[in-house]
Amino acid sequence: MMKRPSLFSLVLAMPLLVWQLAFFLFPLLFLIAISFWTVKMFQMQPDLSFANWQRILTRGVFWDAYLRTMILATSAAVLTSAIAFPASYAISFKLSERAKRWMIFVLIIPFFTSYLVRVYSWQVFLTDAGIINAALGHIGLGPYPMLNNTFGTLVGMVTLCLPLVILLQTFSLNFVNRDLIEAAHNLRCGRLRTVASVVVPSAKVGLVIAALFAFILSFGDFVSPLYLGGGNPPTLSIMITDITKSGQQWPRAAVVAIMMIATLMTVAFAAITYAYKERGK
Amino acid sequence: MDASTTPPAIVKFDNVVKKFGDFVAVEKADFEIGQGEFMAIMGSSGCGKTTTLRMLAGLEDPTSGDIYLDGERVNGRATWDRDTPMVWQSLALFPFLTVQENVEFSLKMRGVGKAERAKRARKWLEKMQITEFADRGINQLSGGQRQRVALARALVTEPKILLLDEPLSALDAHLKVRMQAVLSNLQKDLGITFVYVTHSMSEAFAMADRVVIMSRGRIEQIGTPEEIYRAPYNRFVAEFLGSANIFDGVVGAATPGGHMVAYDGGEVDLPASELLDAKTGDKVTFMVGAENVDLAPTDAGQDGLAATVVGEEFLGATATVFLETDDGQELKVQKSHAELKAVKCHAGARLIAHWAPSACHVLPGEKG
Amino acid sequence: MGNENKLINGWLMLHIALCLIFIFAPIAGSFVFSLNSDRFPSLPLGEFSLDWYRAIWNDPLVWSGFGNTVIVGLIVAVIATILGFGGAYTDYRYNFFGKSFYLALALLPPTIPVVIMGLAMLAFLSRIQLSGSTISVVIAHGVMCSPFAMAIIRLRLSQMDPDLEAAAWNLGGNEWATLRHVIIPFTRPAIFAALFITMAVSFDEFAVAWFVSGLNETLPVKILGFLQGQVSPRINAIGSLAFLSSMTLIVLAQLLLRNPNEGSK
Repeated sequence: MMKRPSLFSLVLAMPLLVWQLAFFLFPLLFLIAISFWTVKMFQMQPDLSFANWQRILTRGVFWDAYLRTMILATSAAVLTSAIAFPASYAISFKLSERAKRWMIFVLIIPFFTSYLVRVYSWQVFLTDAGIINAALGHIGLGPYPMLNNTFGTLVGMVTLCLPLVILLQTFSLNFVNRDLIEAAHNLRCGRLRTVASVVVPSAKVGLVIAALFAFILSFGDFVSPLYLGGGNPPTLSIMITDITKSGQQWPRAAVVAIMMIATLMTVAFAAITYAYKERGK
Repeated sequence: MDASTTPPAIVKFDNVVKKFGDFVAVEKADFEIGQGEFMAIMGSSGCGKTTTLRMLAGLEDPTSGDIYLDGERVNGRATWDRDTPMVWQSLALFPFLTVQENVEFSLKMRGVGKAERAKRARKWLEKMQITEFADRGINQLSGGQRQRVALARALVTEPKILLLDEPLSALDAHLKVRMQAVLSNLQKDLGITFVYVTHSMSEAFAMADRVVIMSRGRIEQIGTPEEIYRAPYNRFVAEFLGSANIFDGVVGAATPGGHMVAYDGGEVDLPASELLDAKTGDKVTFMVGAENVDLAPTDAGQDGLAATVVGEEFLGATATVFLETDDGQELKVQKSHAELKAVKCHAGARLIAHWAPSACHVLPGEKG
Repeated sequence: MGNENKLINGWLMLHIALCLIFIFAPIAGSFVFSLNSDRFPSLPLGEFSLDWYRAIWNDPLVWSGFGNTVIVGLIVAVIATILGFGGAYTDYRYNFFGKSFYLALALLPPTIPVVIMGLAMLAFLSRIQLSGSTISVVIAHGVMCSPFAMAIIRLRLSQMDPDLEAAAWNLGGNEWATLRHVIIPFTRPAIFAALFITMAVSFDEFAVAWFVSGLNETLPVKILGFLQGQVSPRINAIGSLAFLSSMTLIVLAQLLLRNPNEGSK
């Protein structure tokens, strides 16, 4: 309506903008800047040095952690998506409206519990003398090592991601045209084939986005790899927390963080491009 | 276009144009509304009628041209600084306020004290006969009752002009007719100006003193309902009214009273009062009202247009007969059942359609 | 839906049940362990005991952590709701050059890994001498919680009759008066929901708080400390209490968002 922004519009729009610019965008940009700084006498000094970059990117430890994080995050994303799908499918297609609403409410509850407390609880379940091994012991099985290894890490990551992935998948499955499924059955397409060739492609965008979120969450998580996975070999996030808490080498931590962001942005871009690519038929 | 003598103007649109980017919503709107008039702005979707109303209210600014309210130029003045309350199509009542609080709203915005507000609001609740609902939430009211709240809310400041944006479109038929009467009487009672936007011709013609007909951003005609009906300005208005047969013709030789005009199917002697300054060779378009066309059997020796009956529509005491000439032109004739029986009118019947030259009206806006 | 196969449906329902068990096992477990006398619970479970609750009741560190969490939560709730309201209204009403950038800036924080956010905020805030205090956590949580407030309020605004604001203007209310007397009353349920939910989000946020809070640790940060130090079942007691209070906040928020009283449409 107005040509020049009115005082009113500025008062409403600016606070959020200023806050996010100052405390969100700027710190992230600052992070890029400090990756070129050096640490002298326990203090960060402005500089234009590639030393940090060199140091981090030439160390095998870094690339090991990078690979490990990629593998863990990808596995978590795939695993969570696979576990979630039958549940999301059932919720979207087989439950009544009322049951659906209840399920969604139930699935939101975990968001408001402490992830830390849940991980701690898993420790009790998974440890060698813990709940699960004790139960298995009663029927003569085990004990199986489920803690301080990749299994434990994945349990934790799935715990982190599963509710969100189920919700996102359910949401996108809700939009699949039910008539398409009936038509497929009509054309004598078996149930499983219908799911694979009709339902999944129709909900492709939502399913990919759900997996992407799982990937992002797992990629950055340090709690599960540390407290359920044993912390060794470290993930990138553990590297950051280690470097930060044990000294003032924030510039090096910044390098790791930037590599993480770059990776995430690339993966996100690729995933979204793939999701929205038109099916060539 | 604007023929009648009007009281002093309370609204004046002076060459107002409104563009949204490249899209011209309103093209050169130029008219006046007199104090105490009930003015309807009518047209189909997208014709610019609502945009015009919104410019009057101050919700949009004209791209060029001037708008005057009560003699003052109000371009650029915000809607809250004008006294042009509007009754909205969706009513836009405040769901978090009671009926009385809704009505009091504009008084509150103007700083009127609590007791005074309540008093004035109550007066209008009584006038609109909804006093019993004063403390109810608006969701508890029926459609008609909500209408009255919207009216009371708009009128509580006793403005000189009230704007209405298709307020009856959401009501069902019988309620519509009742509310039309309520609005008409209200306007006459209060003596204030109503500017009423609608897509319904029957609404506009039933309630308004004068009507502005718009199409695609242009004003096609302004006049009283009778004027428009009797003498539509151009083809658009004539077709919009729907009750006329329209012919394109060429002006021929002069006659004692006017000129001969040749058209597809014959010639007719049209008077100068209709032809005005049209000369030989000019193209003119003229219309004949459906009720002015007579039908005769083919063997009665009557001159006219030969046509075949393709359909009939019953309208109570009369019927509308649709005919098609050999050239494919459609004709519409409205006669009583007795008259139609006399000429043995039935589907497939071949009849002669004829009319008196005095029944013809030349559309001034279509001169070639 | 005629082509139903009861067996397949049965398996699908079982699968849902298994997923729910997986999701809620640690939550339920934590609650049970908090009432269990064993330090390292296993099967068979030990005796019922309120020891852990007593332990945290008597632990001043827990109380100071709780205090910090509450203070931070209250302040963040107000700030995030105000910021989020402004963002939601801006998105609702205005179109302008750079709007996508504005929205991205407003809504992206939840997608950035918390480790990275934590590091960035720590580096930045210490540079400007604002690190290691309650204010640092408030600033960081303000960034992370406003998107939630903005989404909630924006949703409510989209339920508003598009003519409602214009009607208020038309009746004599300028933009400020309309904001005060129409927009805010209409969005009030969403504003309260935003206050509760942002508080709940702040309550549970441990990672960034851990980075920036220094010695003024919030409760989740203390929990992290417990985790890192000797394993202590007090965590379960804290966790169960925190869960109960978060749930209370959520239920209150839900009730508010569904309030049919004042004709919420």
